[in-house]
Amino acid sequence: MRVLALVVALGVASPLAAQGPPTEPVTFGEGRLVIGGEATATIGPDDPGFFNYSDYAFNALRNLRVHVTTEVRAARHLQFLSEFRLDRSGNVEPFALYARIRPFPDRRFDIQVGRIPPTFGAFARQGYGSGNMLVGTPLAYQYLLSIRPDALPARVDDLLRMRGRGWLSNFPLGNTAPAPGLPMVQSYRLDTGLQVHGVAGMVEWTGAVTSGSLSNPRVTDDNGSRQLAGRVVVRPHASVAFGFSGARGGFLRRELQASLAAGADVADGVQTGVAVDVEYSVGRFLARGEVMRSAWSLPAVPTLRLSDPLTATAAIVEGRYRLWPGVHVAGRVERLDFSTVSSPTRTAEWEAPVDRVELGTGWSVVRNVQVKVSWQRNLRSGGRVRHDTIVAGQLVYWF
Amino acid sequence: MRMLAMLRAPVRGRLPALHVIAAAALVSQAAIVAAPPGPTAADAQPAAAGAVQGRLDIRRQARAVPRRPTVSDPGAPAPRDLPDLRRGVVYLESAPSRAFEDRAPGRAAIDQRNETFVPHVLAVTVGTVVDFPNSDTTYHNVFSLSRAKRFDLGRYASGKSKSVRMDRAGVVRVFCDIHSHMSAFILVFNHPFFDVTDADGRFRIDGIPAGTYTVMAWYDGETRASRAVTVPAGGEVEFELTVP
Repeated sequence: MRVLALVVALGVASPLAAQGPPTEPVTFGEGRLVIGGEATATIGPDDPGFFNYSDYAFNALRNLRVHVTTEVRAARHLQFLSEFRLDRSGNVEPFALYARIRPFPDRRFDIQVGRIPPTFGAFARQGYGSGNMLVGTPLAYQYLLSIRPDALPARVDDLLRMRGRGWLSNFPLGNTAPAPGLPMVQSYRLDTGLQVHGVAGMVEWTGAVTSGSLSNPRVTDDNGSRQLAGRVVVRPHASVAFGFSGARGGFLRRELQASLAAGADVADGVQTGVAVDVEYSVGRFLARGEVMRSAWSLPAVPTLRLSDPLTATAAIVEGRYRLWPGVHVAGRVERLDFSTVSSPTRTAEWEAPVDRVELGTGWSVVRNVQVKVSWQRNLRSGGRVRHDTIVAGQLVYWF
Repeated sequence: MRMLAMLRAPVRGRLPALHVIAAAALVSQAAIVAAPPGPTAADAQPAAAGAVQGRLDIRRQARAVPRRPTVSDPGAPAPRDLPDLRRGVVYLESAPSRAFEDRAPGRAAIDQRNETFVPHVLAVTVGTVVDFPNSDTTYHNVFSLSRAKRFDLGRYASGKSKSVRMDRAGVVRVFCDIHSHMSAFILVFNHPFFDVTDADGRFRIDGIPAGTYTVMAWYDGETRASRAVTVPAGGEVEFELTVP
C-alpha cells in the first residue's frame, strides 16, 4: 500500500521544552503548596525629571525585579500567602505575608491578617509587570510628592520651594535631611493589619484596619494611629465594574512631635483618600478609568497658617486593544493636580501639577513571555525639569 | 477474517520532539465531538478495512494547573471545576493516500464552564469549526498562540459563543486570557485515523486499510508512546499502550 509522503508536523511539546523554565505554577504536596513567580526587566533612559522614580534610589523604568509568590493551603479554612521580591537594591523583601482564614468554606467571606493586599483603589491590584498594559506606573501610585512623614514645612514658602522636588525634598521641621517624599498611594509596598472581604451577588466588599496610610504603608506602627479603609465593587454585568474606595489614617511619625511647638499635635497629620473607578471591556477592548482625591491635614504649625488640608486629585484613563493574537496597543492619559496655598509673596499649587501621556504596545512571544515598549511624555508646571519624553522597554516572564 | 492479537507495548519513554503524521484528507469526528459527524474513515474505506482498539494505560496522570497564586486579591476566588485529565489521543502516524481525499468540514465544541474548558482534549480533522460557548457568568477570553492556529476571540459574556476554523494540522493549545489556569488541547489531524480515549483509556480506530502502521499515543502535551502494528484486511488488532 502506498503511503503518501506528505507529512505535517503535529507540533507536540518536546522533552527539552519540558525541562525549561516553568510555564505554570509549580505545586508540591498534592497541591498544598503552590509557587508562582514573575521576572520583569525594564529598560529606559535617564529620567532627569524624576517622573518615574518610586524613591530616590530607583527609577521604575530601570529595574530588574523578580518575585516569587507562594500559597500554602494548610487546611480548608486556612491559607498562608506570601510574596518575596528582589529588585535592584539586591535585597529580598517580603512584599506580602499574610494568613487567609475562611470561616465558612462554602461562603465567599475571608479574613486576612498580616501584610495584606491593598484595599484602596483599582490599579494596585493590576501589578507591575504582566498585569500592567503599559510599562509605566500611573502617577497617583508612584510619583513622589514633596510631602514627607518625618518632616514638615514651617512656612508656606517652604512648601512652595519644594514644588516638583518630591524625589528629594526637605523641610525645616523634623528630619531636615533631604529624602524622598510620598506618593498619593504607595503601590510598591503593602500595609499591615487585618482585612475582611466578602462577595454577595454582584457586590464585592473589602474593609481593613492597618498600621500605615495610603501614602506610607507600614509593617510596624510609627504613630499610634490606625488606618481604616474600605472598598466596594459592583458588577452589574460581566462587561463593567464600578469601584468605590475610601481610607483615612495618620501619616506622620511620632518622632516629629519633638520638633513641633506646643499645641501642634502629630496626631493631626491625617491622610484621607476617596476614589471612584470603572472598568469596561468588550471583545478585544479594555478600558479603565479612576479618579481619586487625597487630603493631608497637617498639625497646627503657627507659622504655616494653613486653613485647609493639602489636597491632590488624580485622574487616570487607560485603554488596551488587542490587534492580533498576542499583540496589543495601549494608552494612558493622566493628570495630577493640587490645591493652592498662599504665602505673603505668591499663591500657587502646593505641588507642581503633572500631566502624562503614555502610549505603548505589547507582544506575547509565548503565553507567559511578553515584550512591551512604550513612549511616555511628562509635563510638569514646576521643578527643575519641566518636561521629559521617555521610551522604555520591558520584558516580562511569569509562571 | 478476524484476527485478534492482544499486545502490550513496552515502555519506550518520551519520543522526539516533532513527530510527523502522514496527512490524509478524509474527515471524521472524534468521539467527543458534539456536532453531527461528517463521513467517517469507515465510510470511505473498502469493506475489508480493519481496526485497532485497546487501552491507553496512563501510569502517571497529569495534575490540573492550579490558579496562579496572587497576593493582590483581597479574598479567595470562587471555586472552579477541575479538568478531566484521564483522556489521551491515539492516532496513526501515517495514513494511506486515500485518507487525504474528500475532506468535509465538521463542527465541534469546547465549553467554558466553571472556569474550565470542557472537554480538556479535543481531536478533530482539518477544516473543523470549533465553537467556544461561554457557560459562566463571568467573561472569558479564549486565545491561542500555537503555530497551528493563532487566534484571539476577545471577551464575551455568558450565553455567547464564538468559533474558530482549524485549518492546519498540529496541536493547538487553548487558554483564557483572564483565567490563566484554564487550558485545553485541540489536536488537528489531516487524516481520520485517531480517537480520544474514554475515561478508562479505551480507544478504537475503525476503517483502517490493511497494512503496517505506527500507532502513537499522545497524552498531556506530548506523544509519549508508539507501537508498530499490522492491520489485516477486515481484521482487528487489540493492544495496550503504556504511557509512563
